[in-house]
Amino acid sequence: MKILLVDDEPVARRIHSTLLRSQGHEVEEASDGEHAWRVVQESQVSFVVSDWMMPRLAGVDLCRRIRTAALDRYVYVILCTSRGEKADLIEGMDAGADDFLVKPVGPEELRVKVRAGERVLSLQQGLAQKNNELARINNQLESSHKLIEEDLRAAAWMQQRLLPSQSLEANGLRCQWRLEPSGYVAGDIFNFFAMDEQVVGFYILDVSGHGVPAAMLSVTLSMILTPDAARGSPLKHLNPLNQQVETISPGDAIRELNRRFQSKDDRYFTMIYGLFDTGSGRLRIAQAGHPGPILINTAGHPQIIGTGGMPIGLWPEIKFDCTELSVSAGDRLLLYSDGVTECVNSEGEAFGESRLLSFLAKSSTQTLDTILDGLLGEIRSWRQCGDLGDDISLLAIELSESLDLASR
Amino acid sequence: MRFEERTIGKVFIAKVLVSRITAEVAPALKADIVEFVTQGHRTLVLDLSEVTFIDSSGLGALIGSLKSLGDDGELALSGAREMVASMFKLTRMNEVFRMYKNPEEAAVALA
Repeated sequence: MKILLVDDEPVARRIHSTLLRSQGHEVEEASDGEHAWRVVQESQVSFVVSDWMMPRLAGVDLCRRIRTAALDRYVYVILCTSRGEKADLIEGMDAGADDFLVKPVGPEELRVKVRAGERVLSLQQGLAQKNNELARINNQLESSHKLIEEDLRAAAWMQQRLLPSQSLEANGLRCQWRLEPSGYVAGDIFNFFAMDEQVVGFYILDVSGHGVPAAMLSVTLSMILTPDAARGSPLKHLNPLNQQVETISPGDAIRELNRRFQSKDDRYFTMIYGLFDTGSGRLRIAQAGHPGPILINTAGHPQIIGTGGMPIGLWPEIKFDCTELSVSAGDRLLLYSDGVTECVNSEGEAFGESRLLSFLAKSSTQTLDTILDGLLGEIRSWRQCGDLGDDISLLAIELSESLDLASR
Repeated sequence: MRFEERTIGKVFIAKVLVSRITAEVAPALKADIVEFVTQGHRTLVLDLSEVTFIDSSGLGALIGSLKSLGDDGELALSGAREMVASMFKLTRMNEVFRMYKNPEEAAVALA
């Protein structure tokens, strides 16, 4: 190891440097503190054995300088003093000296103290290396994290594009929606579209689990759930008897979806699929494990439709509710995901169905837009903290007042 | 997953000691149930009386456990509380799983 030996007295310096060299070390000599300080700054020397009493710059002051300087390494300092007084010891340690030698310095004493210093230095160097390694790994992690976030943002944007346009109208029905994913991407999806000139279809679904795997299934489903028979939609089929493309019933559509999406890994999705026939004024709804839609009639009474059903993807045969009812102009239907009712506040209490129903009763005279914003506001203030816990989906459909159902 | 285990006759009862069965613990729940079966317990009752919340992953794990048991055994549930019971009703899982008020009732029915 390279040692900087500082002593203004040449004989002592010669004796100590010979000793150190005979013990296998490389020695650089300095005859005063200022010279020693320059060597410390300009070289990589990490071990200093210095006399205390020196003109210009005393050993203890050299030590202070070393300790307060912003060096790129740790420098081990042994101070040599001829007065082995406790007060000196304390002043030296306070100044940052690592150890002491009392003159005259015996060779064995010198040897073991230098060795102890070597040990400390190697520990120190080991630590510094580990820290560098940690910093490197940290940087790598940060870059990876950034990449993953970028990917998620891109996926979220893709999902956004699959959502229906903000304000929809079809065959005399109006539709408004809100989607608040709990992460970047959502396992919830919904849509609303004209099946033909007379029938309007709508659905909401919720894939189990969360994150990217759930979102991937929800994207897949949203791409095939279209009124466009040519794209392999499970919602229409070619009737072999008359070679006409027909819209299949909500129940049959659910069964077809269940047939196509049998899960291999316990994943499933819940779904509401509905068809509204503007010709007959009849609404048909199939409910596969998803919370029942809420019908709000013109008198402002909210009512939950359906009692339940098995989710899709778990068993080849499933049982679920199919409801058929008549609706009137001005009636509204709200489809939602369980993120709404299961949203818990800081006391762990869920928002719940009752709160949802009473909000809808209270706001029944407002526009769809206002109702949806109001409901989101209620949920947010219930939750209090920033994230809402689960995806929140709302799809509100309104039968236009101008829909002339009575005469049909 | 932490359980309190006991047997009543040949019925093995595992009481779930966490209050929320969510995505984080669902895989462990399924693995543990499968492990109970591997250990030789053929008639299992999962006591859910401490569970106040179960999410879709949790339900998936229970269903997955039931399916993996197949004909090898019986998995029943007991003590389902409000939120869990209503979720099972909504998804008709109360028609797929045998559900009991408490483990003793389950043990009598499954003996």
